[in-house]
Amino acid sequence: MAAMIAGASASGAQLRDNTLYSVGADFKGFDPADSGDTVSAAMISRVYEGLLEYAYLDRPYRAEPRLAEALPEVSDDGLTYTFHLKKGIHFSDDPCFPSGKGREVTAEDFVYSFTRILNPKLESTGDWIFINHVAGAKEWVQAGNLTVKIPGFIAVDRYTLQIKLRQPYPQLIWVLTMPYAFVIPHEAVEYYGVEFRRHPVGTGPYVLKDWRFNYRVEFVKNPTFSGQTYPTTGEFDDRTAGLLEDAGKPLPVLDRIVDYEISEFYTVWQMFVGGQLASTGISKDYFEKVINPQFELSDVLKKRGVRLYKTPNMDLWYIAFNMKDPVVGDSTDPAMATKHRKLRQAFASAIDVPTYCAVIHNNRDTPANTILPPGVAGYTTQPYAYQFDRQRAKQLIAEAGYPNGKDTTGHPLRLTMISAGAGSTDARQQAEFFAEQLRAIGVDLVVQQLSFAEYLRREHDGEAQIVYAGWIIDYPDGQNFMQLLYGPNKAPGVNFCNYQNSEFDRLYEKVLTMQDCPERSALYAQMSDIAIADCPWALLTYSLSYGLFQPWFQNYKPHAFPYPNAKFYKALPH
Amino acid sequence: MIAYILRRIISVAPIALGVLLVTFLLFRVIGGNPAYRIAGKNATPTKITQISHARGYDLPYFLNFEKFPRQLFHAQFPRLAKNILRGNFGESLTSKIRVSQLLRDGVLPSLCVTTPLFFIELILAVGLALVAAYYRDTWIDRSLVVMAVMAMSVSSLVYIMVAQYWLASEWRLLPVWGFEGAQYLVLPVLIGTVAGTGGTLRFYRTVMLDEMYQDYVRTARAKGVSPAKILFSHVLRNALIPILTNVIVALPFLYTGSLLLESFFGIPGLGRLLVSAISNGDEDVIFAETFIGAVLFVLANTLTDIAYTWADPRIRLK
Repeated sequence: MAAMIAGASASGAQLRDNTLYSVGADFKGFDPADSGDTVSAAMISRVYEGLLEYAYLDRPYRAEPRLAEALPEVSDDGLTYTFHLKKGIHFSDDPCFPSGKGREVTAEDFVYSFTRILNPKLESTGDWIFINHVAGAKEWVQAGNLTVKIPGFIAVDRYTLQIKLRQPYPQLIWVLTMPYAFVIPHEAVEYYGVEFRRHPVGTGPYVLKDWRFNYRVEFVKNPTFSGQTYPTTGEFDDRTAGLLEDAGKPLPVLDRIVDYEISEFYTVWQMFVGGQLASTGISKDYFEKVINPQFELSDVLKKRGVRLYKTPNMDLWYIAFNMKDPVVGDSTDPAMATKHRKLRQAFASAIDVPTYCAVIHNNRDTPANTILPPGVAGYTTQPYAYQFDRQRAKQLIAEAGYPNGKDTTGHPLRLTMISAGAGSTDARQQAEFFAEQLRAIGVDLVVQQLSFAEYLRREHDGEAQIVYAGWIIDYPDGQNFMQLLYGPNKAPGVNFCNYQNSEFDRLYEKVLTMQDCPERSALYAQMSDIAIADCPWALLTYSLSYGLFQPWFQNYKPHAFPYPNAKFYKALPH
Repeated sequence: MIAYILRRIISVAPIALGVLLVTFLLFRVIGGNPAYRIAGKNATPTKITQISHARGYDLPYFLNFEKFPRQLFHAQFPRLAKNILRGNFGESLTSKIRVSQLLRDGVLPSLCVTTPLFFIELILAVGLALVAAYYRDTWIDRSLVVMAVMAMSVSSLVYIMVAQYWLASEWRLLPVWGFEGAQYLVLPVLIGTVAGTGGTLRFYRTVMLDEMYQDYVRTARAKGVSPAKILFSHVLRNALIPILTNVIVALPFLYTGSLLLESFFGIPGLGRLLVSAISNGDEDVIFAETFIGAVLFVLANTLTDIAYTWADPRIRLK
């Protein structure tokens, strides 16, 4: 393999035009209502836009207006958000419009688009951004009368949109940056019907030129895209990193983007080293060949000018205990509750997470220490309370009533964990690792690898005893994680582990209405401490993405929510 | 013979439905309710119920005794079978595109790879088998056998990796990946031929050698018929039955495409569609491709039987 990398030609394909060749897989189609996966979100963001977007270069993450004139005016009670739309923004030209010319975007278009993702018939995966928060949304869905309007979405006039909320929802700013909240014209939905997802009509920087399903998607500059320029400010290092060279220039920088849908990493790699792709991730099998033991790029690639970016994914991987389970869960009897908690703590202490990171994840993941990942307000660097300590795990499991891991009958305690990924080698290796770790304290852990659908069913229905789970953040707010432990969200809600702690719930309800501030971050940290003490989850890892970029691929800055960022990218002649 | 053909055609439905049943058991019964997957990670129970109801995932799997007797078959599998038999293959769970559309779009790319592969492999295997039989027990025969064994012993994956690296990435003789023109088909067809011909060649050689030792060959030789005429006029014709079986049974794979080659070389055909459907749990695509594959396989078998009567007039279909 090393020879293959070393031997790969450095010249690459000749750039004939200002085009970026990129890679993705399993693209679903151009419907913002169905933009839940990263590939679809990125493709949709090439052609559609929303009211707000992330400031590309700024950290910590900050929302800024895109199709809105400014950030919204928020009423004193936090229940009404008023957006003034930019004037003169047009949908791209398309036969769905009577004259073929794209018409101007109005507030009614946002009302239509927001209402559409709540329509149960559409089965959108994004209805959660509004359904429990916007005034009248839940009732509208339940009533099923699609002809009436949702009271919470109001087009005050042609350029003024109001969103009325049921209770304060500071996260609204973040969810409005998501592709779910992008604006679409009703004419396109009506004109194309079921074919709408193959015929995008947006306001975004690009228009679709050609899409061959499961093969290739090609975008060219949208001639009617207007009014956005490359940012002129960023973080301290951005200028030295060359990220401000195009400051003030009109967007998009690239004329054309071609996304190939390549399913096999070997092929991706051959195309990347051949200069035919601008960037690539690194598969597990290639990691040690490409990245040296110091977690830097191998010399061969470094010499070619390839750049390595490590991006925290802002996620958490953990093992969740079903708190309703009679063995590992909570109990109304305080003595039993204590024993069960010690069993969970023993489980958490028994797993050698650093070795897990090394053996299963090439050390590219880091051991988790709090409920919130780094980069999210409320994250602290305090050590995890149940770091790997086998002696302590043995002691805790004895205190839990299972000396040497054996139950009262003298047999090893048998626990059952579910994970997704039936048939996958990675999932099997992971299952074997966990089983081995638990065997060392005398516990017999059975890991059932299920199809994704069946895994979700058991998780949602609270049927599993223990679940291997993960959560990738939707927006940079700790609430997105804390909701997973909020009592009223118990299964079949998102709190699949059925955790309930009155103090945690009280704090959650308090932070729910607070805007981002140091006091709120402190409360998140406090909530994390409460949950860790109760141990409904055994924390495992935060993951880190390793991406390789060609020297001629410029203006790239790692971003946890990178979907609309292609408009900033640049490909130098090479 | 017509009665036989009719009987075989009638048998297509139960066999194909049997295959569909096994696929249904694997993906729906064991795989679980797809509504959980469709609903996404923040789904509410109401939404899962709505999706399950709208798509019929909340019905019993096979028989609906609650609605006995009028709607006994108002259940998941009978509904699926009914739709498929009517040619309604549903829509992809992930892309929401009609499966019939996906199948139509995928046929041509698959055929672009499988058709040349099929003919090249057939001509090469039969031709080389004849050569091996003609020069049996000489160095030519032995070399061909050794090469065939070597070719079939190496995994297709190795051919793909070596070819993509050397021929495409390193020497730039051919494209690594894509479906833009004839040059993009060279590598997949070449690899398919190398990986597939070995086994077929050995089979055909054995068949022909079996014939070479038959009494009629000895008689022909005794009568002074030239070895070439014996091989082409007598042996080849009598070896036709096993060759026909092999060839016609391979016909359905022209349609289903090559899973590995299409995935590695970016051919947007039905093989690649099936691989991505399996990895995404895209049931309707899997059901449709499996069902069509089963139908084609049974029809190909029937065609083989009919071809036997042409190849050997002693065979009568009853």
